[in-house]
Parts: sequence; C-alpha cells; structure tokens
Amino acid sequence: MAEMVKLSVNGQEVEVEAGKNLIDAVGAVGIEIPHLCYHPALGADGNCRMCLVGIEDGRPPLVPACKTQAAEGMKVQLDAEHIKKIQHDVMELELINHPTDCPICDQAGECALQDYYQKYDGQDSRMTVPQVQKSKKLDFGCGVVHDQERCILCARCVRFTRQITKTGELGIVNRTDDARVTIFPGRPLNNRYALNVVDLCPVGAMTSKDFRFKQRVWFLSRDKGICHGCSKGCNIFIDHNKEKYKDDIIYRFRPYQNDQVNGYFICDEGRMTYKKENEDRLIVAKVNNADSIISSAIDTLKNAVSSSSNPVFLVSPNCSLEQMFAIKKLGETKGATLCGFSDGYIKQGDGDDLLIQDDKSANRAGLELLSIDTSKEAFQSAMKEADLLVNFNSDLTNSFDADTLDELLANCKFVMVATTQDALTDRAEIAIPVAAYSEYSGSVINADNILQMFNKAVVKNEPFDDIVNIVSRIGGDIEDNSAAWAGMKASVPTLKDVEPEQIPEQGLALNS
Amino acid sequence: MEVKLLSARFDIEDCNKIDVALKNGAYSVLDKAFGMEPGEVTAEVKNSGLRSRGGAGFPTGLKWTFLPKQDEKPVYLAVNSDESEPGTFKDRYILVRDPHMLIEGIIISCYAINSHDAYIYIRGEYTTQAKILQAAIDEAYEAGYLGEKSAGRDFRVDITIHRGAGAYICGEETALLESIEGRKGQPRSKPPFPAVEGLYGCPTIINNVQSIASVPYIVSNGADAYKAYGTEKSPGTHLFGISGLVEKPGMYELPLGLPILEVIEKVAGGVKGGKKLKAVIPGGSSTPVLTPEELKTVTMDYESMAEHKTMFGSGGMVVLDEDVDVVPLVKNLIDFYHHESCGQCTPCREGLGWMLKIIKKILNGDGTIDDVNLLRELCDNIEMKTVCVLSAACTMPVRAFLDKFRHEFEAYVQ
Repeated sequence: MAEMVKLSVNGQEVEVEAGKNLIDAVGAVGIEIPHLCYHPALGADGNCRMCLVGIEDGRPPLVPACKTQAAEGMKVQLDAEHIKKIQHDVMELELINHPTDCPICDQAGECALQDYYQKYDGQDSRMTVPQVQKSKKLDFGCGVVHDQERCILCARCVRFTRQITKTGELGIVNRTDDARVTIFPGRPLNNRYALNVVDLCPVGAMTSKDFRFKQRVWFLSRDKGICHGCSKGCNIFIDHNKEKYKDDIIYRFRPYQNDQVNGYFICDEGRMTYKKENEDRLIVAKVNNADSIISSAIDTLKNAVSSSSNPVFLVSPNCSLEQMFAIKKLGETKGATLCGFSDGYIKQGDGDDLLIQDDKSANRAGLELLSIDTSKEAFQSAMKEADLLVNFNSDLTNSFDADTLDELLANCKFVMVATTQDALTDRAEIAIPVAAYSEYSGSVINADNILQMFNKAVVKNEPFDDIVNIVSRIGGDIEDNSAAWAGMKASVPTLKDVEPEQIPEQGLALNS
Repeated sequence: MEVKLLSARFDIEDCNKIDVALKNGAYSVLDKAFGMEPGEVTAEVKNSGLRSRGGAGFPTGLKWTFLPKQDEKPVYLAVNSDESEPGTFKDRYILVRDPHMLIEGIIISCYAINSHDAYIYIRGEYTTQAKILQAAIDEAYEAGYLGEKSAGRDFRVDITIHRGAGAYICGEETALLESIEGRKGQPRSKPPFPAVEGLYGCPTIINNVQSIASVPYIVSNGADAYKAYGTEKSPGTHLFGISGLVEKPGMYELPLGLPILEVIEKVAGGVKGGKKLKAVIPGGSSTPVLTPEELKTVTMDYESMAEHKTMFGSGGMVVLDEDVDVVPLVKNLIDFYHHESCGQCTPCREGLGWMLKIIKKILNGDGTIDDVNLLRELCDNIEMKTVCVLSAACTMPVRAFLDKFRHEFEAYVQ
C-alpha cells in the first residue's frame, strides 16, 4: 500500500498518494488539473503551462503541478480567480496560431484543445493579425503524417522517441513561434511503435495515414479488446462503426492502458492487425468445392467426424481458452487426436524488450495449460494415420510449404473452420466460416502467464458462430463459455479457484 | 566619480598578454588566496556584499554557500560570459583588456568552492573576445597557473571555453548548462537549482564574468576595502555601459549608489547636443524605463532601482533624448525578445509573436485603441507564467513604456 498524505485542493481535504506529482495524485481522487504536455508514461516537461497552480505555503506563487510532488498539508489552489485566469490566458495563447480546421481535422472529438477551449477559454478570438504559417502534411514515415500548424509543441512525440523507443527520430527545431517538430533530413520515423505518437498527440498534429479522413471519431464505438497479434496480449480499444446500410467495420486499434501488460502503448504491427478482422474473411461455407449454407456444412462435418476412424483436430494458438477446451472435449468424445502444433507462428528473434514477442499467437500458454501437444513430431505422426483433419483456424502455411502440405494431406479429408479465406480454405473439402476474435467473448493467457478476458466488440450484420458453438453443433458437450469454464475449473488445477467474472481488468497473473 | 578597481589595468597596452599582466600585478593574489582556507575565501566574498553582476543582484558569496556540504559529485564553476542583453557591454572589456584578472578570479573561486573544472560560456558573437581569452588561458597554462598544479599548489584548475551559437537565452543560467551539455539551449525548471543539480547533474555555481573578476580585488584587499565603495546594501563598484544619446558614451567603472542624473551629466557628458532628456533605460533593455521626474531621485544601486519599480540589471544604461519615438523603440524591444524566445513555454512562444505583430500593426498606422489595450493586457497575461524570466524581460519594459508614454501609442492609432 502506497503511503498516503492529506492535502487540500480548493480548501477541500483529500487523501492522495505521497510522492506522486499533483496531476496524478489529485487526479486519482477525481480532481482534474488541466495539462497538455504532461503524460504519465513520459514524465513532466513543464512547457505547456496549463497545469500552473498556486500553493499556499510560501513557495513560489505559481508552480507547475506536473513537477510538484504531493506533500502532507499542502494547500493547492485550483479554482482561485488568478489560477482560472492563467488557464484562460494560456488557452488563448495556445489557440492564437492554431488553425481552426476542426471540420477537417481527424482529432476533432477527441482533442484536448477543443475540450479545454470549452472548459477554460470559451471566448471569441482576439487575433486580428496574421497567424504563423508552418508546414502541413509532412510524411514522417511509419504511417505518421504531421501538421506543424496544429502542433502545440508539447513535445510528447519527441519524448516518446527519446525515452520509450530510444530511437530519437523527432526533434523540435527553431526557436520562438517558429519552433516546430520535425525529423532529420532523410531520417524518417523508423521504429516499430511509431504510431503511438498519434495517440500521444493531444491535438491533431500527428495523424495516422491509415486512419485519417476515414471516420469522424464521435461515430466510433470504442470497445475494449485484446490484440491477438502476438503473445503479449496488449489491451486495445477496438474502434468500430456500423454505418447505415453497411456492415460493422473496425477502423482502428488504439492502446488501452494496462500497467500489468502493455502500459500505455501497443506496437504498430499489432495496431494494424485490425485489418485482418475486416478483410479477406471467409464468408461462404463450402462442401466439396461447392458453396453451401453453413448449417449443412456443419452437418456434413458432423457426419465426417462421426464416420472417421482416425480424426485429428488441429487447434490454433490464437483460439480462446474456452474454444480450446471445447475442442479438447469434443476430441475426447470422438476419439480424435488433438494437436496444437503451430511452430510457424514463432518468429525467432523478432521480439524486443518493449512489447513485441517472438510468438505471434495470443494463447499458446492456453494450449500448454490444457495440455494440448504442440510438438511437430506428434502432429506429423498423427497425420500418418489420419483420415480426417479438422483445422480449427490454425495457419499451417506458416509452418509448411505447399509441397509438404500436399504430402501431409494426401490421404485424408481436410476441413477448415476458419475466419480467413486463404490457400487452406481453398483446398479444404469443407470450410466453415467462424467469428473472429473481435466478434466473440473469451479469454487468453499471454506470454507472461497473465489470464485476460475480452468481450465481443463487433456485431456483424450476419454474425458467424464462435468456434465454441460450432464445436457444440458437431457433437461437443460444451455449449458455451460458462460451460467451458465449469469444465476447466473441474479439470485444470490452475483454474480451480478462478472465477471468470472476477478476473480483474488488469488481468490475473496465474501462479505457475 | 570614476574609480578603477576592476578596470585598473584596462588602459595598459597589451595587458591581455601574461607578461604585461604579471608586471602589473596579475596572479599576485593567488598566494594569499591559497594561504586561506576555502571557507575563509567564501566568507570574505560573502562579507564584501558582492552581488551578482549578471543582472539579478543575488549575493555571490551566499550563492556559493548553497553547495551541498558533503557530496561525492564534482563541483563545477560556470562563468557566464553570454553578455547579450541589449545595452550591455561591460564583460567584453574584461575579456579583452584584462582576461588574466578573470582567470585569476576563476582560480580563487574554484579554490573557494572546491571545483576543479570551470567553463566559460562565451556568446557566439564574441569571436575576437573568445580568441583573446583563449590565448590568455593558454598562457596561464604555460605559466603554470592553470592545470594539474595551479600556481604550484596541489590544486587542479582547468578552464574550458564553450562558445555559444548566438542565442540570448543561453545567458539564462540553466539554458547555459543545457547548451554546454550539447543540447538546445532551453531553461530548466527550478527546483532543482544548479547549486544542487547543475552541469551534468552535479552541483554547479554559475557566476557572471564581472562577479568572478571582482574576487581577486576582494580577496587581496579584504571585504572592508571593497565595501568602502558603494552603499551599504549595494557595495562595491560596477562597470556601467552608458550608451544612447549622450555626449560621451562608453564603459565607466563607478561605485554603486551615485545619483543617475549626475552620472549622465558629469561622466557621460550630458544628453547629446544639449537636447532634453526624455527617459533612461537603466540596466539593459529588460529593465523598465524611467522618466525624468523619476530620475531625479534615482541612485545607481539595487535598492533605489527597486524602489522606483525598475531594476539595476546589468548596468547597461541607455539614454533617450526628447526626439526619440518610443513606439518603434518598443517594436525593436519586442522584436528582439520574440526572436530570442526559446519557444519552450506556451505564453512566451506564442505571446511575444502576437505582441510583435500588434506593435507592428500600430506602427504601420493600422492599429486601434483596442490594439494598444490588448498589448498592455498581454504583458500581464504572459509575464511570470513561464519556466524562465525571458517573457518578463520583454513584458516589463513594454509595460513601463505603455504606462509612462501611453499618449505616444495613442497618437499612432488616432
């Protein structure tokens, strides 16, 4: 438990964590100190001057809250007239040279300047002289586009590349109101986390080439999710929208703060995996190279499983824990060999010490927890005897080349239960489309053995079943996630005492 | 009225050369200084009442005592020679005419604060001065005053010149440190103060050239001899740069506390061409202007200036005669400070540019009374909201001109 101190804000006594800066300390008890340049992941810089507060104890008359530690007995003035005037004046100065292009600015709707203008300024412009003109639409690389006129020089982006990625591509050149954020000539952003500067930018100066001009942010639904791009399990916002006459589409992923998992950031590759949820989806089921309605494809699969003498079920390391368990139970009922082989998901040496992991799957730890064999030998020897392979969404092409696959599948019926239409679904005799992870609820265990739950975010016009339902429809006992949990609690010692409803938002570190 | 404590050797030809300087008493105080305890040297400087000659007037000896008592880290001395305030031209005389006085002052100061590494931060435009100073430092190394064994004592002193790149803001002590460390010159937030966490995160004392150059005299002659000049609270002498519309502009060493009008009359020869005096900027362009009525009671010391709601500043006095139009003068002022704003803090970065455009508008005859009022209001809105005092260095004089000569601005908008 952190040490607490009592201090007063506007005469109201509050108890806050000692040693934290005032913005964080009193922010934790719901009192907002306005700030633009401060960010908890980047520390205090003190350049925006929005967080100036008065301290009634003989200090300098004004201090930046971001650089002032909460201390016992401190009397903080936040609503005094002179402090309100500073906030008002600083906002006016922030805005005099800021283009009022909100109608075409991607940040509109989630812009600190818009919010603070409403809250702290609110007056008509008194700017009767020409504004400072700077460069616009600068391609900084990594899909980041910069507008120097919108920039308020808070230096969050600069500090991010210096402190977090330690690549230092960004800097502020020139002095006075000619100061501007830029890259060195010919040295664009070149790191795997660059798009975080778009999230960090409190205004519309840093925009994402991928997202810009696609959606007004107030139309987006923001649902929490877990990125399945690698085994880190970064928490994300899934920003999606179902426009009239269109389907529910994801427009972007953004980091969702989780101090136990990813902190404030996500990697760019993971951020871009939202496209997989939208694009190249397997839409139509097929049986024997002919389009089929899904229910008859499922019936065909059910018969195939029942009549198979040696079925093999291949489970994707991206399946949720519940899906893995449901497939496992079905395998036991049907006498199938269960395999979790997925070496192709591991890109040796690709990870770093920030977030990116070698393992590009979300739930390999789940396979291990449920004792599903992931070895190549087990899979290959099972396939020698197999007359049926049901592949639950595992991308075998990243483990085997086409010739090897031909050899492997030569003597057996091949079924894909898949989200994406690809070479595998093309060659499968039966292909059944299923929900992608943004469309179902479930849980995954990340590389650090942290169990996290996520909920369905996207509702398609014609939603596909989750693998749990498909498995149930082809004869499995597990009907839904709660049945899966009841079964797992009974059979997996690590999960014995885990209540899925009570897994904290930050995730549950499993002891093993 | 002139006295020559610091400027004693200024008129000796080639006194920047060590052989000439030595003949005239340079480095003669080192024996006495090294014979004292470091604490005694600090006490002597403290007792002399020497106040920082950079403009703020903070007692130099007291500053030295702010160093942490027992610290593993090295202590640095940074000598501020970024003399860039418009109207100020005193330190350059020391650098060119008696650099060995400065070097001697640095050695004694280093001994007092137990520092072995001194940096002289010299403004980028001072190319000749930097060359002369470097030559003097080289001579001092050769003669054994600098290096492993300073003046034969078991005490190392090394001096490094760091050339600025032309930014006024690097005269702000923490921006100066940033610049020495190789970064963009931007002031740091305080606390921590440099005496605790300064250059490379180590305790650092930053003093103006003239402050350090005053140390040999004080140590040699004692605090009382120094205090014999000046006033009780503003003791000693100061190198005043008197410029503007006077008969004899120049650099004069004077004791503090003299009546300003008398100095203009007797030292600087009075207003040029017998014109009427309009105003005086007393201590560099950032100090609020004084009107003839106010000047009647002003003496040239820290207290009197403060009483008259201005500042002693750097001693760079600019005299304005009756023909001076203050509106373009104010435009020049804002132009300078706008150009020199480091651009870090919002109010200064955005505000000074706004002020400049407004004064230009007024000057062009396109202004209205609202613009004059807005300019005046912006002074209040910007001042003291920033990391350093550069914004105030602009708003204070502008406010004073607007308040004291408002009718002249109004004339432009009618």
